[in-house]
Amino acid sequence: MTINRQSFWDQDTKTGLWRIVLEYQDKRSKALDKNNLKEESFREEIYQVKSQALAQIDQLKKQAVVNLEANGIRVFEAKDDNQARKIIEKLLEGKKRIIKAKTNAFGEIDQKGFLSDKNLQETDLGDFVISLLGEPEAHPVLPALHLSPAKIAQAIEKKYQKKVAPTAKGVAEFARGYLRKKINQAQAGITGANAITADGKIVVLENEGNISLVSRLPQTHIVVAGFEKIVPSLKEALMVVQASAIWGTGQDWPAYVSIIASPSKTADIANETVIGAQGAKEVNLILLDNGRSRLIEAGFSELLHCLNCGACLNFCPVYHQIGSHYGDKYLGSRGVVFAAFSASFKKAKSANCFACTLCSACLENCPAKIDLPELMRKLRTLLEKEGLQTRENEKMIANIRQFGNPFGKIEAGKIPKELYCC
Amino acid sequence: MKFLDKILGGNTLYYPGCLTKFVAKDLEEKYQKILRQKGIDFITLSELELCCGSPALKAGYQADFKKTAKKNMKIFKDHGVTRIITNCPACFMVLKKYYQEVLGKDWNVEVEHITQTIKNSKFFGNWKPARPAGGLGIGNSNRETVSYHDPCHLGRQMGVYDQPREVIKSLGYEISEMDLNRKNSFCCGGGGGVQSNEPELANKIAQDRIGQAKKTGAKILCTACPLCYLHLKENAKGIKVKELSELFNFDQDKNDNK
Ligand code: SF4
Repeated sequence: MTINRQSFWDQDTKTGLWRIVLEYQDKRSKALDKNNLKEESFREEIYQVKSQALAQIDQLKKQAVVNLEANGIRVFEAKDDNQARKIIEKLLEGKKRIIKAKTNAFGEIDQKGFLSDKNLQETDLGDFVISLLGEPEAHPVLPALHLSPAKIAQAIEKKYQKKVAPTAKGVAEFARGYLRKKINQAQAGITGANAITADGKIVVLENEGNISLVSRLPQTHIVVAGFEKIVPSLKEALMVVQASAIWGTGQDWPAYVSIIASPSKTADIANETVIGAQGAKEVNLILLDNGRSRLIEAGFSELLHCLNCGACLNFCPVYHQIGSHYGDKYLGSRGVVFAAFSASFKKAKSANCFACTLCSACLENCPAKIDLPELMRKLRTLLEKEGLQTRENEKMIANIRQFGNPFGKIEAGKIPKELYCC
Repeated sequence: MKFLDKILGGNTLYYPGCLTKFVAKDLEEKYQKILRQKGIDFITLSELELCCGSPALKAGYQADFKKTAKKNMKIFKDHGVTRIITNCPACFMVLKKYYQEVLGKDWNVEVEHITQTIKNSKFFGNWKPARPAGGLGIGNSNRETVSYHDPCHLGRQMGVYDQPREVIKSLGYEISEMDLNRKNSFCCGGGGGVQSNEPELANKIAQDRIGQAKKTGAKILCTACPLCYLHLKENAKGIKVKELSELFNFDQDKNDNK
């Protein structure tokens, strides 16, 4: 198995990426200081919050469903991506103009052709830009980090016949104007969730403000989230928010945090409750399994600590070379492991399971302390059982079995040519 | 007394690991000399011992790994080994952490990385600097600078960051750190089986690491891992890559340290 030549990033992109990553690193420590947090103890707290929640996830999920529905939020549990798509299609029946904010869970269930009869508009600036250029996302928090303002401005000019200053500001201003119209006309909005509480609240963080608009302005709001987002209460949810901001973008707190507890309502007239005042009239939550139960059963539940902050990629040597070719629906090592359970072991192999050097830079940078290299190694034991090894590994193990070393027969005075080592 | 200690305390084994033993052979010779100079009694088992099993473990051959660990344990026990010194970070991590995991209580051998052994030896620093302060011996200003690459298995995985640096400094070198060092060190790209499974990827990563080292202005990039060493060396341009043992000046030892 070899990685395709075209998969490698060019030097300029790599240099640009390093600049951003090192700036983030710096901002992260400042954000921790500003919040009076010690990196190690805060990571341990997040680890505890997530592992304790996962240990009782069935119960928390039941509570969440009961409490959300009592508040008027409809909850749908989707076993897999197919079911999730069907539910969404049903919810969007008769609706044509759909807006969407950043949601990785939607990306997880998305498929070519899905909602192609709709006018689906990305409203996150980064996602808007990559969909405009037809590029894959380069990073979960910074999807367009590999594209220069000049290149983006050019693409805008070509598509919308509009001159845009080739700067970050120019692009943002254009998007604000262009997207505002789409947002105002939309009939339904799709977002994700950063946390869901067992007592029935959906928590979403953002900087741009588009999530607030997408979740409030259209009549229908659809939230797509994995069930592992459920934590007991707002206390834990806000810790998740804080960690996501610090590790995701190096901010001490995001610009906005929405806590959605019910559809919009008013009782101003005759004290009679009317659902649907200025905000969304209908709130629907799709709770995804899509391999998560299998993952827990197989002993990989630590992966579900993930906050999707992307920090694991920032110092990953493989990501720095091949970007979105490493992983599947989610980028990097966590995406490889997730693919094994949401898609197939074969998929995990083609998502480059054997490209990981097990260097541990991801673990070191993960706010939830997910031991990704250990999960990756464990995943390889499963691939091995499925007969999905690489040719080189097969040679290596044959040598170990026969000669007690990975190189093969050692001839006196000679140095082995093929080095199958660790 | 010393004899009795040895009987009661068991043997110390110097375990170079396959890569050092069969490929980077001169490193083995150097490390043996260094250990002797540091007054450490050790035995070697050369081809009696097996690969530690690291490549099998990392490629997902769990059963093979366990078998290898068991066989090695028997060989070590037969030779009264109670302590292992290795210069290979992968062997170090595997023997220390994963043997414990698969062998449980039966595994009660102390395992050290050789930089820890050197740092803790009573003769630490007792090696004439290969690069004494230059010129008229004023200050440190003329010392040669070395950049140190933290091997992932030694640093991040096992927390050994200081000892190799202290050994380098004790030899009279100054260390010029890369932006990415210690817990944020950037992998050389060779580990995890990637050098054989995805050679192009492995080489590109190494070339980036070489670039980071060159930015420090150091003429030498030093590391304490045979795999990082061989892999970085193969991809180096414009900087010399040296394994830690190569910073020791052995000629001088012959003349001065008698
Ligand atoms: S695995 Fe950890 S670092 Fe990576 S995205 Fe998830 S929470 Fe962030």
